[in-house]
Amino acid sequence: MINIITALQCEARPLIEYYKLRGNARHSAFRCYQNDEIQLTISGIGKLAAATATTYLAASNPGGTSCAWLNLGIAGHAKTSIGKPMLAHKIIDNASERQWFPGMVMPITCDSEVLTTVDKPEKTYRKATMVDMEASGFYAAASRFQSCELIHSLKIISDNQQYTSEQITEKTTLAMINDNITTIDSIIQPLLELSSELNTIEQPPPEMYDFMAQWHFTTYQQNELRHLLRRWHALSLSNKPSHHDFSRHTTSKTVLIAIKVFLDQQPVSFNNKACQ
Amino acid sequence: MHRLIYIEEEVADHPRTKAICDRFPKATKIYCKYYGEVFNRKGQNFRLQKQQPALILARKHKRHVLNAPDGYGIGGRHNYYFSHMLNCVYDCRYCFLQGMYRSANYVIFVNYEDFQQAIIETAAQHPNEETWFFSGYDCDSLAYEPVTDFTQEFLPTFAQLPNAYLELRTKSLQIRTLLKSEPIKNCVVAYSFTPDEISKALEHGVPSVEKRIEAMIKLQQHGWRLGLRFDPMIYQDGFEENYKNLFEQIFSRLPAECIHSVSLGTFRTPKAFHQNMVNLYPKEKLFAGRFDENRGMITYQKELEVKMTNFCYKQLMQYIPQSLFFACTPPE
Ligand code: SF4
Repeated sequence: MINIITALQCEARPLIEYYKLRGNARHSAFRCYQNDEIQLTISGIGKLAAATATTYLAASNPGGTSCAWLNLGIAGHAKTSIGKPMLAHKIIDNASERQWFPGMVMPITCDSEVLTTVDKPEKTYRKATMVDMEASGFYAAASRFQSCELIHSLKIISDNQQYTSEQITEKTTLAMINDNITTIDSIIQPLLELSSELNTIEQPPPEMYDFMAQWHFTTYQQNELRHLLRRWHALSLSNKPSHHDFSRHTTSKTVLIAIKVFLDQQPVSFNNKACQ
Repeated sequence: MHRLIYIEEEVADHPRTKAICDRFPKATKIYCKYYGEVFNRKGQNFRLQKQQPALILARKHKRHVLNAPDGYGIGGRHNYYFSHMLNCVYDCRYCFLQGMYRSANYVIFVNYEDFQQAIIETAAQHPNEETWFFSGYDCDSLAYEPVTDFTQEFLPTFAQLPNAYLELRTKSLQIRTLLKSEPIKNCVVAYSFTPDEISKALEHGVPSVEKRIEAMIKLQQHGWRLGLRFDPMIYQDGFEENYKNLFEQIFSRLPAECIHSVSLGTFRTPKAFHQNMVNLYPKEKLFAGRFDENRGMITYQKELEVKMTNFCYKQLMQYIPQSLFFACTPPE
């Protein structure tokens, strides 16, 4: 799953069409669109709006799934040519001077650059940085919910010293995003893979729910149960864990003890393929 | 090959920073104020970062030399460690680094001279006494040699300090510098081993047992003193056969006379690190066996520890004199 934040509707529209996202009427605070893998929210302009939309999206999706996060939009850069996509490798909040470093573990199909978030539009261009108005708010908020390898900001250069921001229109923005949809997708797909990898790692063993339906486990005991069932799978035993095998136990406590005693007696062998 | 190199602004112009960056001409350089902004912050995932580790070049400001933890020594009274690098190019599933750090990026502290000065000063605190300095605590001592030039830079320091002993702990085949250098008496190149079957399952990216033995033979022929580290010993059903074969494999090629020291220690990890490791790799067989908690450490159950240690000790005694043997397990 990936959550995408754009500031403007015209930045979002090419994605809505490309990924066939449908409007989600459940949300009233922000315009939201989604399919099975992507949720897109239009935040409005500014870092506060971006932070609010990010937090809103995170809060409206409770539950254990690990989502990737992408802030997509346009940015200015003194020298870079118009329409060029660039991933942020360092995000600076101009007002507070705080900085964030997205974890770049996925394949990157475009150049990367520093991205400075400013509170007000600026007339002069800064040296060696993209400039936008959302990324720091987005990053500060998203990093409360996810690790930095899954949070990124991708910007398409919309203005520079030759072609200034006054010349940007909805139409040119839409065209720039459209022209870069393949690059955008080449960032989104590996992020989806990373989030699915994390979800697979974090997923509780499927039998856990059968056990929980049979006995009442406290939160602490649920963690213990998850740990024991994972051990069971990791040991590559011939039989899968089944609650039926423990049916003579009347309490969750004795079930946990029985599973632990059983597992402690099992041999460990690396000769059959090691699990990850 | 690193795609990204993070550089602390303070060391941007350091000659070693430049030399290391020259090795990765295509890497993007990203400047930070302090390496802690990038390394080991909350909200980082070691397992994901291990897929594509970045390089971080930084300055270590203090505590260049630290007391070695209990059980890390090989007989000396004064034991210290120092880390010019944090993290490792290999990916051993039992490695405590993955539990200790949230980040898998490699940090290289480029101010070697400060480490060397601290080593000289520490050695001077114990005149005429063997003082040991372990370099492979937070990384493999040799594995990143082509980038760090670590041995090339540090051996001359030890060559002039007769009471300071250096242990290079490694699983690496990067021995070119050592083979080009004049061996020094106060340096031990210590190779770590687990049996072949266990190495294949758990030591990802590490050269095979056979290749490591070949590297040791070359070092021995060149005159370097060698150490053997069976730490951690990893349990599996039939470990007796595995370790028996491993010892046979090693000592049939390396005579005991060329060995400086042999140490043994069972798998053990501080509880918090162990928990992090299990969370990173919940389906890993290594963590699925029986473990006990003993004074903040997660260990195999006592009986098993004793059984493994006794078995391996007896086996080793067939090949080496008792005087070369050191147990790594900290005292009770
Ligand atoms: S070689 Fe040593 S430092 Fe490197 S991953 Fe393996 S155990 Fe850790």
